[in-house]
Amino acid sequence: MTAVAERPAETRAEAPIETRPVRVKIRRYVPELNPEPYWQTFEVHALPTDRVLNLLLDIKGYQDGSLTFRRSCAHGVCGSDAMRINGVNRLACKVLVKDMPDEITIEPIKGLPLEKDLVVDMEPFFEAYRSIKPFLITYGQPPTREHIQSQADRERFDDTTKCILCAACTTSCPVYWTDGQYFGPAAIVNAHRFIFDSRDEGTEERLEILNDREGVWRCRTTFNCTEACPRGIEVTQAIAEVKKALLYRRV
Amino acid sequence: MDQLEKHSYDVLIIGAGGSGLRAAIAAHEAGLRVAIICKSLFGKAHTVMAEGGVAAAMGNRNPHDNWRVHFRDTMRGGKFLNNWRMAELHAKESPDRVWELETYGALFDRTKDGKISQRNFGGHEYPRLAHVGDRTGLELIRTMQQKIVSLQQDDARRAGMPSGAHDGRLKVFAELTVTELLLTPSGAVSGAFGYWRETGRFVVFKAPAVIIATGGIGKSFKVTSNSWECTGDGMGLALRAGSTLLNMEFVQFHPTGMVWPPSVKGILVTEGVRGDGGVLRNSEGKRFMFDYVPDVFRAQYAETEDEADRWYDDPDHNKRTPDLLPRDEVARAINAEVKAGRGSPHGGVFLDIASRLPKDEILRRLPSMTHQFKELADVDITAEPMEVGPTCHYVMGGIEVDADTAAAARVPGLFSCGEAAGGMHGSNRLGGNSLSDLLVFGRRAGEGAAAYVKALQGSYPVVPQVQVNECMQTALAPLERADGESPYVVHQELQQVMNDLVGIIRRADEIQHALDVLEKLNERSRHLAASGPRDFNPGWHLALDLRNMLLIAECIARAALLREESRGGHTRDDYPAMSEEWRKVNLICSLSADGRSVEVVKQEMPPMRGDLMALFSVEELKKYFTPEELQHLPAEDRTDVERKVEVS
Repeated sequence: MTAVAERPAETRAEAPIETRPVRVKIRRYVPELNPEPYWQTFEVHALPTDRVLNLLLDIKGYQDGSLTFRRSCAHGVCGSDAMRINGVNRLACKVLVKDMPDEITIEPIKGLPLEKDLVVDMEPFFEAYRSIKPFLITYGQPPTREHIQSQADRERFDDTTKCILCAACTTSCPVYWTDGQYFGPAAIVNAHRFIFDSRDEGTEERLEILNDREGVWRCRTTFNCTEACPRGIEVTQAIAEVKKALLYRRV
Repeated sequence: MDQLEKHSYDVLIIGAGGSGLRAAIAAHEAGLRVAIICKSLFGKAHTVMAEGGVAAAMGNRNPHDNWRVHFRDTMRGGKFLNNWRMAELHAKESPDRVWELETYGALFDRTKDGKISQRNFGGHEYPRLAHVGDRTGLELIRTMQQKIVSLQQDDARRAGMPSGAHDGRLKVFAELTVTELLLTPSGAVSGAFGYWRETGRFVVFKAPAVIIATGGIGKSFKVTSNSWECTGDGMGLALRAGSTLLNMEFVQFHPTGMVWPPSVKGILVTEGVRGDGGVLRNSEGKRFMFDYVPDVFRAQYAETEDEADRWYDDPDHNKRTPDLLPRDEVARAINAEVKAGRGSPHGGVFLDIASRLPKDEILRRLPSMTHQFKELADVDITAEPMEVGPTCHYVMGGIEVDADTAAAARVPGLFSCGEAAGGMHGSNRLGGNSLSDLLVFGRRAGEGAAAYVKALQGSYPVVPQVQVNECMQTALAPLERADGESPYVVHQELQQVMNDLVGIIRRADEIQHALDVLEKLNERSRHLAASGPRDFNPGWHLALDLRNMLLIAECIARAALLREESRGGHTRDDYPAMSEEWRKVNLICSLSADGRSVEVVKQEMPPMRGDLMALFSVEELKKYFTPEELQHLPAEDRTDVERKVEVS
């Protein structure tokens, strides 16, 4: 176990709000020491305004310095800290303790290879993302200044541009869990972002990719993805729009 | 010893934020083999947190805007300490970089006629920030990430391979930390040494050119808007390789960070709130910024609330609100209000947009801010004011570079861009000038490195094995120490001392005290321990990052002690005035011969070119420059001449 810090006496005492003891049950996995994942429970005195991320940082700083998880911006923009919190995919930096029961279970997101503790191998996820050609496709000369795009055209695909590639949607999808080939909702969301962009000229080739046996048709409309999205993207609706575009070959 | 993983590239880019990715695109376009290294996953860089926009004088919302006005605003914001050549290149090239980004596919909010929309921001005379709601940085990173995927797929298609991501001329090494640069015996770059965060295994990169694009240093301070990557790694690497850092005393405290609840203290509240009409108030409800307009800015800012409010709709006939003064001014004003007992309940001031815009408009323009406050602070910003206060946000100082090529001082083959490089922003950066800086100088660094590599004509330096062995020993040391000190403790103490003693307001005795503490922390840092396995060992990673954080903290403190004036992001309580003599002076940090301490020397700044001086009135220049510097200028006020130039 790596070293941890002594808790400075005043930090919590400073806080004007009562703390509450929370049991944080974490699914650990340390392959160098133990081939099997196991559960470990920590007790943390939390403020109601703490996020689950604060609990993890607290544990790592003061109880077990080896606890491993990803985090970066810590307020829901970078999409690094997606995890299963009480059975639901969430960003740890956006779940407040006051909305949680006294016991919080935290597991890595499902469907991607486990690396250590809460860290999974994101490569299959990014591979699916790359496979739908997530970039503007245009032919002919680019304009000397910007493409002109009306406010309405820009609004058309606003929702799916909010994606932060956190994988919360894809790893909440039961089809993705059982079928290693399915692109998953995040890749389709990012395809949608270009299919419905008035500047893009790659609709045909992108739709062809999504029409694949392992493409959009695997979606069973369970809405897990929409519920999991920390950005509030209407993921299932975006997938439905892509299906419709495929059926009618019209955007 | 380990089995070493080795790679060879033409250009190695450390850092995958905005400037690193733009550099990679440029170096790839020059036909070179490029590797990008990032500490996080690809696409998660700190750039994603930029909210407000990219500053570029495209003139889409006000046709009077042009590069000269942008240049003037930038120099004023930086209190004329800027590397004026960088400020010139930046103002001239940023429109092209934004248009180019748009053709890569970047989403922007649009004007009624379908052009890229631009918004008002602090210190910018015209609406100048191209934006996507309040998530511009995220879109900038995503767009360049997408561009890189498209370049990889193009390469793969040409080579007849299935995917460019793994084998092409442009490869991303994610979750890999570089701990040292490798050098030839004559001191030129020959590569870099690092470790995979996942496995802890070591990697050697052989490359004749390295671009440092590692961003800022915020994690040395307790209250910061910066993400975990911002540990000053690249600046530490450059110093240890023999290069120099410039003007490290200038640290920007963004005036509006969240102050409550404690779990989110420091998280950024975009300046776009004020750009879109939000105002600062103290506990008495007073718009206090009117009391804090300094003399140098008096001519450009409104004196009454009425005029300030008219300015939003009629900017040509009214002066702007002082809520939009440059960030250093606003941060100091907030600090003073809180000190005077007129702060908000949790030690900030109030930022009020609720009484200024209809609910729908707030939701449309500031969706991320609305969510951030609702979810994290349980505050509905459409109905009640936010509580905000200063947070460590950006370092204006950085690696000393050549403006045109981004070549770092003293080390052939070393380049730097973005926040890691210094000079462009002088003593204080304007909001929006960071994203444009990333694009302009990212591209220039990529091209500069490419030109350097091509000039070598294939005679690439070799990597000395003895250096590699040393790097391994240094990196492994914390793992092998049985009972050393915890890196978490040292980090906490470092953040506290920087926050308390080298923060927004500084004094000689406090900085000296900080230096004494830093010396002890440095000593303790030589005995850090982080036992346990090497795969994803966060304590070990922190122990290695701390070397850089401590080194950079010392640079900041030493330079801050030496500069006896107040300017921009450096406020000395004991030297409250701005000094004309100090305006000419850059402070240059280097590592001492034994590598154990930081030395700071004064270096005179080259005089600004006459045609750039001529963009300002003599009256204005007199506020900053010495009479000797101005003696060759004609005495008349050139404002009229210059206006004609702009209209033409």
